[in-house]
Amino acid sequence: MLAALIFYLFAGILSLSALMVITARNPVHSVLFLILAFFNAAGLFVMLGAEFIGMLLVIVYVGAVAVLFLFVVMMLNMEFKELRKGSMRFIPVGLLLGGVLLTELVIVYQTWKINPKVLTETLGDSAAAPEVPLTNTEALGQILYTDYIYIFQGAGMILLVAMIGAIVLTLRERSGLKRQKVADQQKRQASDVLEIKKVTPGTGI
Amino acid sequence: MLEYYTFFGLSIPVFLVGIGVLIGALLLSVAYLTYFERKVLGAMQRRQGPMTVGPLGLLQPIADGLKLFSKETIIPSAAHRAVFLIAPMLLFMLALIAWAVIPVGAQMVLSNINVGILYLFAVSSMGVYGVIMAGWASNSRYAFLGAMRSASQMVSYEVSMGLIIVSVLLVCGSLNLSEIVLAERPWFAQILLIPMFVVFLVSILAETNRAPFDLPEGESELSGGFMVEYSSMTFALFFLGEYANMILMSGMTVVLFMGGWLAPLPLEAFEYVPGIVWFVLKTTLVLFFFIWARATFPRYRYDQLMRLGWKVFLPFTLGWIVLMSGTLLAFDALP
Amino acid sequence: MINLPISIDAIIPEITLACGAMFLLIIGALSKRIITNTLSYAAVLLLIFTFFLLVSLNWDTSISMNGFFVMDSFAGLIKSAVLLSMAGVLALSTGYMKREEIVAFEYPILVLLSTLGMMVMVSANDLLSLYIGLELQSLALYVLATIRRNSLRSAEAGIKYFVLGALSSGMILFGSSIIYGFAGTTNFTAIAEAFSANPDMKLGLSMGLVFLLSGLAFKISAAPFHMWTPDVYEGAPTSVTALFAIVPKLAALALMMRIFCEPFMGLQDMWVQILWVLSVASMLVGAFAALTQENIKRLLAYSSIGNVGYALIGIIVGGTGGLGATLYYFLIYMAMTAGTFGIIMSLRREGASLEKIESLEGMSKTHPVQAYVLAILMFSMSGIPPMAGFFGKLFIFESAIAGGYIYLAVLGVVSSVVAAYYYLRIIKVMFFDEQVEELQYETNVPRDAVIIVSILIITGLVLMPEPLLIMTQNATASLF
Repeated sequence: MLAALIFYLFAGILSLSALMVITARNPVHSVLFLILAFFNAAGLFVMLGAEFIGMLLVIVYVGAVAVLFLFVVMMLNMEFKELRKGSMRFIPVGLLLGGVLLTELVIVYQTWKINPKVLTETLGDSAAAPEVPLTNTEALGQILYTDYIYIFQGAGMILLVAMIGAIVLTLRERSGLKRQKVADQQKRQASDVLEIKKVTPGTGI
Repeated sequence: MLEYYTFFGLSIPVFLVGIGVLIGALLLSVAYLTYFERKVLGAMQRRQGPMTVGPLGLLQPIADGLKLFSKETIIPSAAHRAVFLIAPMLLFMLALIAWAVIPVGAQMVLSNINVGILYLFAVSSMGVYGVIMAGWASNSRYAFLGAMRSASQMVSYEVSMGLIIVSVLLVCGSLNLSEIVLAERPWFAQILLIPMFVVFLVSILAETNRAPFDLPEGESELSGGFMVEYSSMTFALFFLGEYANMILMSGMTVVLFMGGWLAPLPLEAFEYVPGIVWFVLKTTLVLFFFIWARATFPRYRYDQLMRLGWKVFLPFTLGWIVLMSGTLLAFDALP
Repeated sequence: MINLPISIDAIIPEITLACGAMFLLIIGALSKRIITNTLSYAAVLLLIFTFFLLVSLNWDTSISMNGFFVMDSFAGLIKSAVLLSMAGVLALSTGYMKREEIVAFEYPILVLLSTLGMMVMVSANDLLSLYIGLELQSLALYVLATIRRNSLRSAEAGIKYFVLGALSSGMILFGSSIIYGFAGTTNFTAIAEAFSANPDMKLGLSMGLVFLLSGLAFKISAAPFHMWTPDVYEGAPTSVTALFAIVPKLAALALMMRIFCEPFMGLQDMWVQILWVLSVASMLVGAFAALTQENIKRLLAYSSIGNVGYALIGIIVGGTGGLGATLYYFLIYMAMTAGTFGIIMSLRREGASLEKIESLEGMSKTHPVQAYVLAILMFSMSGIPPMAGFFGKLFIFESAIAGGYIYLAVLGVVSSVVAAYYYLRIIKVMFFDEQVEELQYETNVPRDAVIIVSILIITGLVLMPEPLLIMTQNATASLF
């Protein structure tokens, strides 16, 4: 009962904020609603018993990715009204295409049923499960670096390429910049730059 | 089915009372943390600190609170009203909800979830939104600059904080905060964790926007930064949120590195002291460090701050994790 | 020897390539001077070394890495072609990059990493590894398209390519999720098994396949998903355009062949219809839209769209005959394109690189050798009988007729006759138009070597077209 209530709370806010993401007039509000949607999705994950994924969603998407989103949107100061001016013309086409796609998906999903083989395999595994059930994190860790190592490393290479790309496209070496070199500052001795002269009165140097 | 995300074996009234007690204690600590800070700063600067209201100035925080309550809440006409008002509430709320998972004593935790540390990290990483929203919604240049500084600073230091947490997890082998406290740590792991502890202490200064990393507020250049447009209760919420965050981060440090509610030395006399007392004492010690740092160091320049985060802490923690996992593997001490 | 929980023997070439690329990246980042050229030559050597490692492997069909990776003679052949042509492309580009003052040392590294992505794609035996490989190669290519970041057109090309590429990746993911939802697995072999066990999941699988296929059609720029191609080819630096035109499509076509032959063989009646439309549309777009182009790079873009159309015919026909003919055709196309781009990159007019077709005017008088080489390449591209390109088209159309796709063959012949017009127009401009401005030919040893190899392949195949065909057919036999 309570679980159902909490589920509907999360799911309801999630769908509403997803709707607001695309309808909000102010792009910053859109991003804020997107964050709310992420957060509620994380709540749903926790309810599913996938607490690790849920927390990761908050840490990575809410805590880091969406911050940068918000940054960009705030800095750009876009006039979305201008951008949206022409878009009303395409709404009929969009609705038509969306409607066709939705109908197709509905028809397709009506034929859906769980592949019996999958059912037997998962159930078979849980029957042979150890006495103390694994936590999420342990379960993920056990397959991520063994069964899925190929994919994991591949994803790592993709991130490397993304990093190289970001650096290639944005890093500009400017010449003639003055930079602080802490080591050089520390190395500097008073005797290198300072000369003490004994000046007798009335003579000058 | 229900138990792991609702009441953790506690009946609803007990649970609600627990929440009430925790929040009450927290608010009281926040109030007296400000008093503590002013007293310590005063002592360090050879002044007396608050003296007039009540004996030894003990009623000063309450007087300050009443003063803030009685002021008018000003909302700038160009501000985005809803976001402007949500921002301080969010910041304060986040500082409170994180306490749900922190074990203040043996079995004394509201929800003993098995990804406690991730939850804590997630909540602390969301704190940045309060700041950004405040800065943007104020529609003021100072506020926006402060918010930008704060966001980039918090995101940068979160990376190394995450890595430090990973190093603790390597030693303890659990994401549950109580288990982290209770886990047996081999002596060499303890030694290896000391540099991480130092980096963590510096990082939490940056994460809570405290001196010497208080550039987002930077009163000398930004006249108060992201909260420049806030007044009265909205300002009070920011203020409370900041101090509650300090306490939260201190609590996190205590749990991760200082043995939580356990006694510092295995003396028999210490056995009779309840765990919560040790927890409070240790937290106070870390809080003292916060204030000490504020009294000691001048504010960092912005580029120095970024350099420290990305070019010093990140490579160092990354390398240290490799070293630690290697050592643990070599001694066969992985949990 | 360390005991690993899984055998990594089959992916040694990939590991070598990845480690080599990272090593070169570190060298480039640490070096004080700009050493793009040295790194390029090192990358060429690395690619050739990887090729030898690949050849030394056992090419018998084997599945490893927990079902994510398959090695068979098909993958072996395609990967060899990818590695060698990538080495060729890098050799082509060294002189060009230097002259155009594109100094980013990351250029050869991104080329290496996109090669790695293609190898992963070709060996994919799972929707996950398919996606990882595809994304690795396209991400590197997005950056390469934008690498001349001071040029507005290069930036525009990069953004267009990136946005549309991301959209197509999204479609692939969406399709994969539908397929996973119905089949309950992402493994190719297991999908085929699941489908044969309950055929009533056909509707769902074909829905997923449609999305997957539209995403892949973006990547091979088959019409009507070709819109990005001319702009990107025009805007990107010519050496990168050469790369786009030559290599990635081979990997994507190979991937398509694998998914059609393994997991979705049972849905043949579905995807043949889609491919039929894609193929005819590409051939027609490639033939007619190119007629009015003045820019050589745009022209070659449309030409590549048309060639993908021909290549798809073989996949529609299926079987070792059809697939073998497609591979044969595409390998020849790659050789021809490499030669063509080599010559275009070498030509300069008044210090600027060549872009317009009319700039080739009177080339036969000033640079007769190069003009004849380009003429041979153009004859071959248009499929005029003695050249290798003719055999490529011949085998494709032959297989189409043998498979009963008469209309496809007729449409193919018609469109290639139309396409012959613009290939021959280049020859006409070179040989019969009066020269207005002086044209310089810049000699660069690696680039000229690639051109010579390309000409040797084309003329060599005239003498004996059969062995390569047998080779490609044998390779595709491992798919069935």
